[in-house]
Amino acid sequence: MDFLLPHILNGLALGLLFALIALGFTLIVGVMEVINLAHGSLFAFGAYVAMVIIAEGHGEGISALSWYYELPLWTRYLSALVIAPIVVALLGFGLEFCLRRTYGKKKEYGLLLTFGAALVIEESIRLVWGSAEQTLTVPSAISGAFIAGDMIYSIYRIYAALFAAAAIGLVWLFLEKTPYGAMVKAGAHDGEMVRALGINLSRLQLLIFGLGSALAALAGIILTPIWGLRPHVGVDVVIPAFLIVVLGGIGSFWGAVIGGLLVGMTVAMTGAFASDWSIMSMYLLLIVVLTLRARGLFGKKTALES
Amino acid sequence: MLNAPGKARMVTPQMAAFFALLFSYPLWSNSVGLYDYLGLEIAIFILYALGFNLLLGYAGLPSFGHGAFLGIGAYAYGLSQIHIAQSLPLGLLAAVIASAAAGGFVALFLAHRRGIYFALLTIAFGQVFWFTAMKWHSVTGGEDGLLNVLRPRTALMSLDLSSNVTLYYLVAAIVAVSTLLLWRFVHSPFGAAIQAVRMNETRARFVGYRVWFLKWCVFTLSAAIAGFAGGLFCLTQESAYPDVMSLHASGLVVMMTLIGGGFVSFWGPVVGVIVYFLARDLLGAHTDAWLLWYGLLFMGVMLFEPEGIAGAWGRLVRHFSSGAPTAAETHREPAA
Repeated sequence: MDFLLPHILNGLALGLLFALIALGFTLIVGVMEVINLAHGSLFAFGAYVAMVIIAEGHGEGISALSWYYELPLWTRYLSALVIAPIVVALLGFGLEFCLRRTYGKKKEYGLLLTFGAALVIEESIRLVWGSAEQTLTVPSAISGAFIAGDMIYSIYRIYAALFAAAAIGLVWLFLEKTPYGAMVKAGAHDGEMVRALGINLSRLQLLIFGLGSALAALAGIILTPIWGLRPHVGVDVVIPAFLIVVLGGIGSFWGAVIGGLLVGMTVAMTGAFASDWSIMSMYLLLIVVLTLRARGLFGKKTALES
Repeated sequence: MLNAPGKARMVTPQMAAFFALLFSYPLWSNSVGLYDYLGLEIAIFILYALGFNLLLGYAGLPSFGHGAFLGIGAYAYGLSQIHIAQSLPLGLLAAVIASAAAGGFVALFLAHRRGIYFALLTIAFGQVFWFTAMKWHSVTGGEDGLLNVLRPRTALMSLDLSSNVTLYYLVAAIVAVSTLLLWRFVHSPFGAAIQAVRMNETRARFVGYRVWFLKWCVFTLSAAIAGFAGGLFCLTQESAYPDVMSLHASGLVVMMTLIGGGFVSFWGPVVGVIVYFLARDLLGAHTDAWLLWYGLLFMGVMLFEPEGIAGAWGRLVRHFSSGAPTAAETHREPAA
């Protein structure tokens, strides 16, 4: 058992990160019944925007902003954590605006449209920042490693896992404890009734899509220091997000969190024994779970099935 | 939409135009700045996309992992050439059998699914096959794939397949025969039953169709056609590699089919494949970001003309021939 403990901890941390990836995705699919295949590209775009804001080794050429580059790294990092999600949320607003034309049609249209959007965002990133691998610099306070017992722990991984747990908690508080959360949940349950109660459903959907996009960007900023930053990182992200949400059950908040933990645990365990196959294990997990439980672990019937 | 059963003519103007283009391509391609090899790619992908559209357009089942079957066909072809014997019929047979077996197995998990559960499971299976191709070095050659799968020197009637033009005519003949068979298939009662499943699965079940079996059959058939195209692809490329199995590649065939108008026309995928390859070569010659423009085109089609180029064309034709409705129009149904 002793030799398993580090793998379990690793799986738990990885699971929280996977849950963070799925958070924005589950919000959008739960309320709007749109599979946002651009989720991964928004994740990548957020990370690239953060890279520009952190500006370590990038963009020092603009002399009018030289005062900004003088600021300490952690100030720039914190401003990236705030500004990049807002920028991506604006892009999300634009995407939702396009998506409106597909509401009321077959659900596949939304999925196909966001698939096209994913390609467009990815190629735009390639055009602006090139195809090469980039790095997102983080302040020294959260980088490095420490030794406890006979294991080396990366400080950044612990920071990222705690950040993910905090983000999950905040989204839960938003959904459960605020009037907006109540509207969101009601909108997911019965949009027509919500509209009849005088709530502006269109605006609510716009906000939710923006929030989901911002969460994607946040996940990008937190995860790319670990996973690396390339234009096509989006595909490596959106499929696990999609998978986790379906695994947990569409529309179930805790389903997504547990799905994320389950995927993290599976990937970490496979990684410990057969590292070549660690990513594949999650697809097998999905196939097994969906074969046994048609709507995932905590899923309910939705319009997405027809 | 998608032509009613029993009313199919053996030859339609679209089919005549397609065959004329297909068989005359090597005669004019060089003088308009295209090349023989491009014709091979287009012809093979037309077969792939036509088979894919059985699933997407006719059965209404969106598969995002179809590249896996193209890849399986290509690997089966390559492996049979390397390990058994250099023979075209053997290779193509291996390609069809392997992809049909894989498709039939996957369809066991999929045939009772609809909507996004279907879509996600096809992604999951596609990724499993892709990862296997990438990681099973001893068989598939890993990321590099199988290299040097030489074209058989004398295949049928001792043709010299090392010439792209000769190979093109062989592939074009195969694609033409397959197209005719597919055309017959979608206009058969079986084809009509599959469309009934798309339009209303519950009603199709009440009428007495075994919906699960129909969906299993069409998935397996579509996978087998993709594998057949994959075998031809390996023959042409003289190699098989995992790239064609990635989600990216599987998504592209969805985009080709829809831009062309696979929802409303048998010929939609043909148009879509031609548009894709011309965009790749003509736009790609000017800008590295041609996929950006292709993606924008796809978004535009999804937003403003979900029936694709074929749908727009059909509306144009109806606009100018207003008055007597054509046979196709009388049987037209609302877009799915």
